[in-house]
Amino acid sequence: MKKTWRFSRYRNSFRFRLYFIFTGTIAFLTAAFASFYVVTEIKGYRSTLEREGRLLATILSQNARLPLFAENQEALSLLAGATARYPSVLFVSISNTEGRVLTSVGDDKKLEEGGIEMSVPVTSPGPVLSPEAVLLGHLPVEEERVIGRVHLHLDTSGARARLNSLVVASIAIATLFWILVSLLCYQVLKRVTSSFNMLMAGIEEIGSGKLSARVELDGNDELDRAANAINAMAASLELRDLENLSLQEELLKAMRLEVQEEKKRVMARLIHTNKMTSLGLLLSSMAHEINNPNASIRFSGHNIAKIWEDVVPLLDGIWREEGEFYLAGVPYQTARGALAQNAANIVENSERIARVVQGLRDYGVGGSVNTRPSMEINSTVSAALSVLACQMKQDVQLKTSLGTDIPAIAGNQQQIEQVLINLILNAMQALPDGRGQVLLTTSYDSAAAEVAVEVQDNGTGISPDMIDRLFEPFFSTKLDKGGSGLGLYISQYIVAERGGRLQLSSRPGKGTLARVVLPVEQHAPQRPDC
Amino acid sequence: MRILSTLFICALMLVAVPALAYDALVLQSLREKGYDEAVRGVRRECRASMRTLVLSDYAEADLTRIMREEHPKLVIAVGDRALEVAETLRGTPVLYMMALNPKPRQNVTGVGMLLDPSRYLAVFNSLGSKRVGVVYDPRRSGAYLKRAQFAARRSGIDLVLREVHAPKETPSMLESLRGKVDALWMLPDLTAVSPVSTEAYFLFSQGEGVPVVTFADVYLSMGGAVALGIDRFDIGRQLGEMAQSVLEGTPVEGIAAQAPRRAMTRSNDGVLRRLKAIFGAGT
Repeated sequence: MKKTWRFSRYRNSFRFRLYFIFTGTIAFLTAAFASFYVVTEIKGYRSTLEREGRLLATILSQNARLPLFAENQEALSLLAGATARYPSVLFVSISNTEGRVLTSVGDDKKLEEGGIEMSVPVTSPGPVLSPEAVLLGHLPVEEERVIGRVHLHLDTSGARARLNSLVVASIAIATLFWILVSLLCYQVLKRVTSSFNMLMAGIEEIGSGKLSARVELDGNDELDRAANAINAMAASLELRDLENLSLQEELLKAMRLEVQEEKKRVMARLIHTNKMTSLGLLLSSMAHEINNPNASIRFSGHNIAKIWEDVVPLLDGIWREEGEFYLAGVPYQTARGALAQNAANIVENSERIARVVQGLRDYGVGGSVNTRPSMEINSTVSAALSVLACQMKQDVQLKTSLGTDIPAIAGNQQQIEQVLINLILNAMQALPDGRGQVLLTTSYDSAAAEVAVEVQDNGTGISPDMIDRLFEPFFSTKLDKGGSGLGLYISQYIVAERGGRLQLSSRPGKGTLARVVLPVEQHAPQRPDC
Repeated sequence: MRILSTLFICALMLVAVPALAYDALVLQSLREKGYDEAVRGVRRECRASMRTLVLSDYAEADLTRIMREEHPKLVIAVGDRALEVAETLRGTPVLYMMALNPKPRQNVTGVGMLLDPSRYLAVFNSLGSKRVGVVYDPRRSGAYLKRAQFAARRSGIDLVLREVHAPKETPSMLESLRGKVDALWMLPDLTAVSPVSTEAYFLFSQGEGVPVVTFADVYLSMGGAVALGIDRFDIGRQLGEMAQSVLEGTPVEGIAAQAPRRAMTRSNDGVLRRLKAIFGAGT
């Protein structure tokens, strides 16, 4: 099998094809030349034989002219016998014009074995005239009269023998010549195609992926120049391969770094989400823990106020009867109003605590997401501010400019509150060193039937290249300060879900304006129910 | 008017009659350059009026009618064929020339084509040949050979004669002369000298080293040594003189047949030199 494969590979090689073509061409040319030589020689031999025979026949015809005219058979026999003694002459005959054979020499049975047959006419001398014509002054004319024929049969067995020997010699010489030239061709081709084979081996090695391989040829011919070009190409490919490997490594490193950074960001968000979840749980727990004593406090305040209402007439009677007296070191008349006021304050602050706790709970747990058909935007702003009341710092001036005659809009107040809280917190965090002003403005555009809430600060502002990415999820400029990158993304989602739009405009160093525009539904009541 | 026209035509016919009257009718065998040359010789010497009739122009010439209507005083036959036709005429003298084998007849004479044998014998004498071989056909050249033998005896020359009756016999007869002759005499004999057998004379001459004396210089180029040729114009002149004599009243019977009086001698010096022969009469 391996031998067959090697032979098939050798048979398809350039060297074998050239060798095959060369040897085939040489064989063909040698055979052609040998055949041409043999044919030419045979034709020449035959032509010589014919010429010799014709010459003999012509001489015989010249010599036999007078004996034939005189019908001297004895003389004719002598002439024919003399001619028949030539080695190549088999048969000689002389006949007159009537075809009668006057003499013949040789074995005419051999005529059937082939050979060359020659027939030459015996003619009278052309220029000779009759005596009468001569006396009349006629000029001699070139007219020959045939008075008989000489037949010769020439032996061609010599030609056949010569042909055989010539063919054998030609074949032997041609074969020897072919073998010698083929061997010479093989050596020459081997020398010529060795460079080609080396070039092919180098190309195959490079083609198999071994770019460091080189074609080792020394010279300045076409193959050597091709080898140099291939070596240069392989070197270029090798260099490019190394560059690719380097780039791949750098890319992998960059990807690993990116993945690590992303992992950090995701983990930070997860931690923040976990914190928010924990915060929600904490808020629920706190609400539960605060609401119970707060309910007791509010109940106690109500009881104190009711009791005090019942006690005041009695104490007024005592005051009227006995005059001024003191309660807990405070004159009754002062204490009488203060106690009622304190009881009212207890109830009021308890309720305020209940509302704050309920707000925190709703914010942390999520609360109801049902859309309220009539949501007051100003009350929503107030609710948001109440949630952020504890976040307010002394250096932040929070101003509100709430518009009047603003129609109620449909929407989830908690979600809108969340939007406003996000915007207010962003504005507060944008103030340099926590100092600055935040202005909340509500307005109504009756022409567009839209309600707008604007949160404007005079903080650091946002660069133009960043402002377009602020609505991308998890994009935040405050990740190090606890930002999740979801505030504006969620806010925009909430506003867009309500059919409105959230717009940001900012100038670096001058502040940022966040504008929430919500549509007023036509079926919604224009006035809030009070 | 009609009578006048008839008379005019008759007068014209009478004027034409003298034009048809002539003295000699030249009866020529065929249109031949040699014959024409001889006829010019006749006209040169004979001032008589002549009409020439070429037999080969007619399929069959009615010579009897011509003789009866035109009444020529003399018939000049040129060539064997013309002589043969003229011999059939009765009453009109016939002169012949350029005929190879004329037969002596009554009322017929002329100039033959064969030179007098003494001319040839003089050549043989000049060559120093004493034995001269001659091949001949007795039917054609028998009479001529008799005269030749007579003259030879007077000249001291021995003519070795070989008779042939067919052209193919010539080579063998020549072979029989080997070693027996000093020279060969080639006669204008149609049997002894044929186009094929001509070569045999010169082969014999080459083989035996003897000169061939022939009757035409054409044979000199083939190997002949000396040629005695005839002068056809002079033969014509010779016959013209004879015709003029006949027309002037000399009877034909009184004029003997003549041989050509003038001979043109040519020799092949190369052949003579090779044969080591001396011929002083070469031209």
